[in-house]
Amino acid sequence: MPGDEGILFDILERAIEVGQNLGATYVELRGESGFNEYIKMDDSRVSALTQRIEQGVAVRVLVDGAWGFVSTGDLKSLDQAVKDATSMAKAAAPTRREPIVLADIKALEDVVEVKAQKDPRHVPIEEKIKYMSDMTNVIRDYDSRITAVSVTSRSASGEKYLVTSEGIRIQSQSLLVWTMPWVTGKEDTQLSAAREDISSTTQGWEFFEKIATPEAVGETVAKRVKLQLEGVSPKGGSYPCVLGGAVIGVLAHEALGHLAEADLTVNSAFNGKVGEVVASEGVSMTDDGTLTDPSASGTAKYDDEGVAPSRVEIIKDSVLTELLTNREYAAKVGQRTTGNAKAESYLYPPIIRMRNTFFDRGDLSEAELFEGIDFGYYCISFRGGQAQMNASFQVGIQEAYEIVNGEIGRPVKDLSISGIATDSLLKIDGVSKESFHMATGRCGKGQEAFISDGGPNIRFAQSGITFGGKS
Amino acid sequence: MTDEKQLLELCKYVVKSGLERGADAIEVLAQDQSQIDTDVELAQISSVNKSIATQIAIRVFVGKSMGSSFTNIPTHKATDEALELAINAAKVTTADEDWISFPEPQQYSTIEGLWDESVTKTDSSKVVEMTGELVAKAMKAEDGLMVTYGASGALQARVAYANSNGVVHAERGTGAWIVLAAIAQLESGVTPSIFSYDIRRGLGMDMEGTVDDLVSMIRLCKTKVEGKSGKHLMIFHPFAYSQIMNFTLLQSIRGDNVARGKSKIGDKIGDTVASEKVSIYDDGTIPRGMSTSVADDEGVPRQKTAVIEKGVLRSFLWDTYWANKVGVKSTGNARRNMRQGLVEISTTNLVIEPGDREIQDIISEVKDGYYIRNVQGAHSSNPESGDFSIVGNPAILIKDGKMLGQAEGLMISGNIYELLENVVEVAKTPLYLQSIIAPEIVVQDVSVIAKE
Repeated sequence: MPGDEGILFDILERAIEVGQNLGATYVELRGESGFNEYIKMDDSRVSALTQRIEQGVAVRVLVDGAWGFVSTGDLKSLDQAVKDATSMAKAAAPTRREPIVLADIKALEDVVEVKAQKDPRHVPIEEKIKYMSDMTNVIRDYDSRITAVSVTSRSASGEKYLVTSEGIRIQSQSLLVWTMPWVTGKEDTQLSAAREDISSTTQGWEFFEKIATPEAVGETVAKRVKLQLEGVSPKGGSYPCVLGGAVIGVLAHEALGHLAEADLTVNSAFNGKVGEVVASEGVSMTDDGTLTDPSASGTAKYDDEGVAPSRVEIIKDSVLTELLTNREYAAKVGQRTTGNAKAESYLYPPIIRMRNTFFDRGDLSEAELFEGIDFGYYCISFRGGQAQMNASFQVGIQEAYEIVNGEIGRPVKDLSISGIATDSLLKIDGVSKESFHMATGRCGKGQEAFISDGGPNIRFAQSGITFGGKS
Repeated sequence: MTDEKQLLELCKYVVKSGLERGADAIEVLAQDQSQIDTDVELAQISSVNKSIATQIAIRVFVGKSMGSSFTNIPTHKATDEALELAINAAKVTTADEDWISFPEPQQYSTIEGLWDESVTKTDSSKVVEMTGELVAKAMKAEDGLMVTYGASGALQARVAYANSNGVVHAERGTGAWIVLAAIAQLESGVTPSIFSYDIRRGLGMDMEGTVDDLVSMIRLCKTKVEGKSGKHLMIFHPFAYSQIMNFTLLQSIRGDNVARGKSKIGDKIGDTVASEKVSIYDDGTIPRGMSTSVADDEGVPRQKTAVIEKGVLRSFLWDTYWANKVGVKSTGNARRNMRQGLVEISTTNLVIEPGDREIQDIISEVKDGYYIRNVQGAHSSNPESGDFSIVGNPAILIKDGKMLGQAEGLMISGNIYELLENVVEVAKTPLYLQSIIAPEIVVQDVSVIAKE
């Protein structure tokens, strides 16, 4: 209700005073209330339909150089939550060798509106169910070998209030529409599966009516299952390849991006390498929180510490140039704050997250990129990927083709790729200037974040990427 | 803190209120959790965290149509609002002709040891002390070891369930843990991240054991060796094979996947699907198990189910909806995602029958093989076919009975069913992990691609 925001800000600000009076250097309260919805449909049957109304506050205090964090759903006992957080931080502080300090930021007040044409909270349930059953039908109709279709969708719409002891006062709206079909196909004894994961954090239900329609999404995922069923088995081993579409994005995000998150860098393969060449000539990789197109799911006007996002050139012309920071790590590594602090909800403290992460375009034409590959693979969609801090990565591929004599050939099934990403970067020998694709997705780092990633088609020399198959 | 009896009273109120508001059938699961834990960054305690949360999940049927809702506010007013959402949703959604009913009342057993009073007395200074001790021990134990993650925590949880068939149940449990992850710097690059943890119902953590486990693995990883492609003998740590199984075998034994034709072994009850060395149980009653409870998330009593016995497939796992649909009984494997309202079939404690020899004795007789401590990429496995392609990380080369060092980028491909058939031995001492109680397994003829 209008006017309620004033009351809420007052409650949060009173709690801030409590913390300051107890000796906290920094007090931050992030309050949320909103509507969330989860719908799952298995073979046209609604197996879950849950709407939730939830509210809560995340309290974060810095006292004597250590953090105390309390997450609570009880808005009536915020003062106690702040007191608890303060005493918890005080218990930790004496064990530290040096105090945690925060980089300075500007005080600011703002109201951020994310204008949805159709707020998902008010879209009738029947319409949402129809969207999912239409998609199920498009998928089933695509190929008779498709045997099971599950579609999951989520939507969210709510308010967020960020108040800190340093004069940050931001009210913003959160918005989400997300869908994921998961499709199984069967031919004789062969089973294949594929999925699609697509979201918007800046558009409402109109995203599903205009962009991620049942036809567009359904046909994309059904085609992958068909290709998997008809595909040839991969040859295991080391081959030159072109990675594009969502696959080059997962390499940027999963295999490399995490190494550039300043809270992880010191324990990663990028440790000590800022200023050094880490990639082949002409390779650049960026994380940009300022993109405004609908597929830029990682964008927000302010991060969860009240810092405006910026464009970070992680790798610039083959040199590791800048890391992703929050206030704590900006101070630690001596860099600017890049506005990468994000929390999934009031249940979690904010940590450094990527936003929209991509390889930049290069200078080869598509023809030049594929030329000279006698045998290799072209990978464009993945089903899941995982990376480690030593840059070891593994990605399951759900759409790939053979490259034979420079031409894209037969589809390939049950393929996965792996490598040591810091090594793969040095084996890039061509970056396209023509193709460019961004895919939305979700990242897990103990808490969920919506992101996007991508890039142009990129060629890797033999031994840059290892292909998994029967040896 | 609401106690489980108060939670149960709230659940019973919601059932009554829901029936009055037009639901034909209703169930309510309420959980109350209080957790305190610490975070370590750069080998120092960076934060102490507390979370206080009440979660109430409501599911109603109007005729054969379902609606669910959730609230985190434990009052009559908030639950009545949530009921309105659920009932309105049920009125407009698709009917499910296959739905029969919520569970009926059954007898519950008593399981000792799920609640440890020491946890309720755990405050921030206690977890700070535990974490501090853990990190200090690890750093002293090995040169160049860098702690990348450390934590300790304690949790108390209370649960209550009620439904319109008269099922009422309440229980409580505690948990405490220490977790440690570390790497070591190499000449070029770093070792893989190695982690170890201890998790129990009460305090009294095995600090020494957890640190030793981690440090001995880090030591091995400091030496890099070259792997060889081909077919090899593999010893898998439960960390490694449980991840592969989570995304393959454990999906195929879910009753819903069997019924939907998404399980490769859906028609193989009574057939041999693994070597006779392999016996796998899902045991929700084992006192030492962290996934143990008296009832599942639909109030159905937990049990011990033999899934594979001496290589023969004996049973799948069921919840009430799918058991009713197919004509079998629920095995007490329902798990409810509170915020999604989704009730799904889930394993509890995966228990693998131990073998005769200790792992050290097994390793000392391996001429040529690998020890896989952990894997990457298990979640991109094909759950329907059971095919997987993962990276052993770390993969330790064994030669002439000795563990020599780490082979980077070792890709292991295969199919879980072939792997199970090729199990030649199970080690003697089970490791007590969060949702698996099992020893290492030894598998022959595993396909491996080494990094060039």
